[in-house]
Amino acid sequence: MRDLDPSVDTAGADETAECPYCGSTDTEREHPKGPSLCRSMHFCNDCEQPFEKFA
Amino acid sequence: MRTEDYERPERDHDAMACGYTTYDDAAGPDAEKAATDGEVPATGAGATGVERDVWQALYRVEDPEMPVSIVDLGLVYGVTVEDGTAAVEMTLTYTGCPARDMLVEEVRRSVAAVDGVDSATVTLVWSPGWTVDMVTEQGRRSLREFGLSV
Repeated sequence: MRDLDPSVDTAGADETAECPYCGSTDTEREHPKGPSLCRSMHFCNDCEQPFEKFA
Repeated sequence: MRTEDYERPERDHDAMACGYTTYDDAAGPDAEKAATDGEVPATGAGATGVERDVWQALYRVEDPEMPVSIVDLGLVYGVTVEDGTAAVEMTLTYTGCPARDMLVEEVRRSVAAVDGVDSATVTLVWSPGWTVDMVTEQGRRSLREFGLSV
């Protein structure tokens, strides 16, 4: 098996984020980086929307 | 025919990518500094005179990736104006920020354009490192309005 891309192997995987659409904290971090280095990608389990968190 | 004998494109040393654009080789910070002395981030509260105008110019500079002022993002660490020379100390969210040269140049130009400022320098500072806690209340509101979780 190939090694994991180092960019996804970061701390804070369980860090919670608040969904900017419905305010739920039942969210998962999908990737530590987003369209820019200072944004991470998350998914809200309540409203089933992907969203980004700053920093 | 040997491959070495084929003619290949030659570089035109006078060529410019665009004949109508003036390219500036001076982009980038004037200096980098390990640590800053002042309280961070700085927001320009209580600034007067030309210094206040410099802060106003900085508040108008927005991050290239989101419509939020760099001051509200907590990126500005200090401003001093002495004898028409403005010195800005700032940081970036990441040392490898791809917007580095663009942002530094925009800050330098915006500050240099302020009445009463003859020249401006921008110093990048890496300590204390930027964290999301440095974002101001207005910055948080703007980021949420933009659709980002803070």
